[in-house]
Amino acid sequence: MSCESQKTALLTGITGQDGAYLAEFLLNKGYIVHGIKRRGSLFNTQRVDHLYEDPHQASRRFILHYGDLTDSTSLIRIVQEVQPDEIYNLAAQSHVGVSFQAPEYTAEVDAVGTLRMLEAIRILGLKEKTRFYQASTSELYGRVQEIPQTELTPFYPRSPYACAKLYAYWIAVNYREAYGIFACNGILFNHESPSRGETFVTRKITRAAARIALGLQDSLYLGNLSSLRDWGHAKDYVRAQWLILQQDIPDDYVIATGEQHSVREFCQRAFAELGIELEWKGKGLSEQGIIAALNPSALLSQYSRHGSLYSIKTGKPVIFVDSHYFRPAEVDKLLGDPAKAQAKLGWRAEISFDELVKEMIAFDLQEAVRENVCRRNGFEVTSSCEAHM
Amino acid sequence: MKKALIIGVSGQDGAYLAEFLLKKGYRVFGTSRDAQMTSFGKLKTLGIHQEMEVGSVALNDFRSVLQVLNKVRPDEVYNLAGQSSVGLSFEQPVETFESISLGTLNLLEAIRFIGEPMKFYNASSSECFGNTEGLPANEKTPFSPRSPYAVAKAAAFWQVSNYREAYGIFACSGLLFNHESPLRPERFVTRKIISTACSIAKGATAKLELGNISIQRDWGWAPEYVEAMWLMMQQQEPEDFVIATGKTHKLEEFLELAFSAVRLEWREHVEFHQHLFRPTDILISRANPARARRVLNWQARYGLADIVTMMVEAEVDRGDMGGRALSYSRTAAR
Repeated sequence: MSCESQKTALLTGITGQDGAYLAEFLLNKGYIVHGIKRRGSLFNTQRVDHLYEDPHQASRRFILHYGDLTDSTSLIRIVQEVQPDEIYNLAAQSHVGVSFQAPEYTAEVDAVGTLRMLEAIRILGLKEKTRFYQASTSELYGRVQEIPQTELTPFYPRSPYACAKLYAYWIAVNYREAYGIFACNGILFNHESPSRGETFVTRKITRAAARIALGLQDSLYLGNLSSLRDWGHAKDYVRAQWLILQQDIPDDYVIATGEQHSVREFCQRAFAELGIELEWKGKGLSEQGIIAALNPSALLSQYSRHGSLYSIKTGKPVIFVDSHYFRPAEVDKLLGDPAKAQAKLGWRAEISFDELVKEMIAFDLQEAVRENVCRRNGFEVTSSCEAHM
Repeated sequence: MKKALIIGVSGQDGAYLAEFLLKKGYRVFGTSRDAQMTSFGKLKTLGIHQEMEVGSVALNDFRSVLQVLNKVRPDEVYNLAGQSSVGLSFEQPVETFESISLGTLNLLEAIRFIGEPMKFYNASSSECFGNTEGLPANEKTPFSPRSPYAVAKAAAFWQVSNYREAYGIFACSGLLFNHESPLRPERFVTRKIISTACSIAKGATAKLELGNISIQRDWGWAPEYVEAMWLMMQQQEPEDFVIATGKTHKLEEFLELAFSAVRLEWREHVEFHQHLFRPTDILISRANPARARRVLNWQARYGLADIVTMMVEAEVDRGDMGGRALSYSRTAAR
């Protein structure tokens, strides 16, 4: 790849799920990838460690910087230094439930942070050079005003997270219209992967399923089991983010699979991958997911050399409802229509719901087996408090 | 006796609302960012400065907000504060966001924290609707904000909605279309036009510098709009309302009326300046205030001609005549 056509991308939130998949995608396309991460007293780059390049080597293409979306000086300095062709603003306080507990911080990072990035482009005179992708979200639709949701569906945010993202969406549009900045919104519906944060319900379920199967965890507490979502794979979705910035004109796009499932169905599918058939008894707060049958799947069999498979019996209730996980204002159904993305970007989701669940379970099973092996060989393994927050 | 807390009492609406609530027998507390430095000129103009209490509150400081709510324990809170210039918001987008959106969030969080029944009114804006073009905006019209000010107001509107639904707080937003009065600061185009027209009529050689005069707005009379705010807070259930006259006019018409009120021809005194055109602006803003009429029994009495007449009269009363007679015509009966 010649130097002239080599593009530079700057990612905020590079240590997150999407940041990691997008960084890898762009590196494979020959980009130089810069990422902004916050400093923490513990290493938190596990998702991108495999992309690491020694800073002492010449012409490395993966470079990290310390910065923070709440610090405009850090952002302006980094953008100035990097002079990116593309900025992907993926950084955020990204948990809807947590935003009810930390609404101000969520606004500072998700709303004002986006404003600060746009202002950096404006202040540094980079509007002709730098394209800007804003990570918008299906949570904007909240109490959905039509089904399925398209780019024209009015927003109705139902959480401080969604309100902050609403600000970010519109400020991106405003800076596009007011100053001609090539700013675009990807309105992404839920997208998961084995890299998903452990406090997001899908990953919480797949981790729990594997750990329960192997006796590392007793049960799983969830909130609204009937909540409906349009779930895709993050790997498919970061490709859409890139495509959005390659168009001739800046525009906003819904990225979704167009398929809807409930949290209950996700549980069903996840446990089934491990050969655990669930049945549901009761309603509301007293609903339970109970083991109806056990049939060690092929997946589990591959680990049989590490010891017995199941630590559970049929009849055991493994899923309970805890009102702690109910949202003060619920978004009970989301379903996206990606027709515009298909027509204009030539994008469609390639990984199916079943393949997504399979991949996540396979990964979390491996993690659970690894933990079991450690314990059985005398190593102490502690589990994170955060799993119960 | 009911207690009302007005955040942003040193502004136009704050002053008229304070006057209105005092007349209704409320005990009124008002705040500005620094009560010791603020002149509260508008409260003095209305003659109510001594009848109420004022204090300092910084909306971007949660402690400050919590303190005032704890100290005053108001029955009703009216949030009228924030950076209020659409034009300035392009230059101070972060300050605009913090004072409007974060400010509202801090107030909602403080009310949630205290956990006592406190009604909350939020000053939302027609700016949230953006270009309404042919269709007059009502409470269900989707937002399409066109300035950092409008985006901040839109975020604040939805925060109010979310806290109302999530925690059962009596919180409502008034989607007020433009509302003017003699207390409007001169940076706002209506007052700027009136004040310059009157200066020129008195012999000044000033030129009126304007931007885009083909923009269309629904202009109302601020003193009657604050009554709508109060009515919203007296309802059984908290709901959002569009407050407007329902009639839209071009800025050019306002210009025409203002200058003819002082017997001048506006075309001879106006200069157009590029820097006064906004990076993005709303071309046409139309309102449908039918719901306010039906539910609150509120309707605007004053239209554009009345507003111009009353603002010119007030300007004349305010000004130093210096021996010159300023002739003006009353263009409409009240």
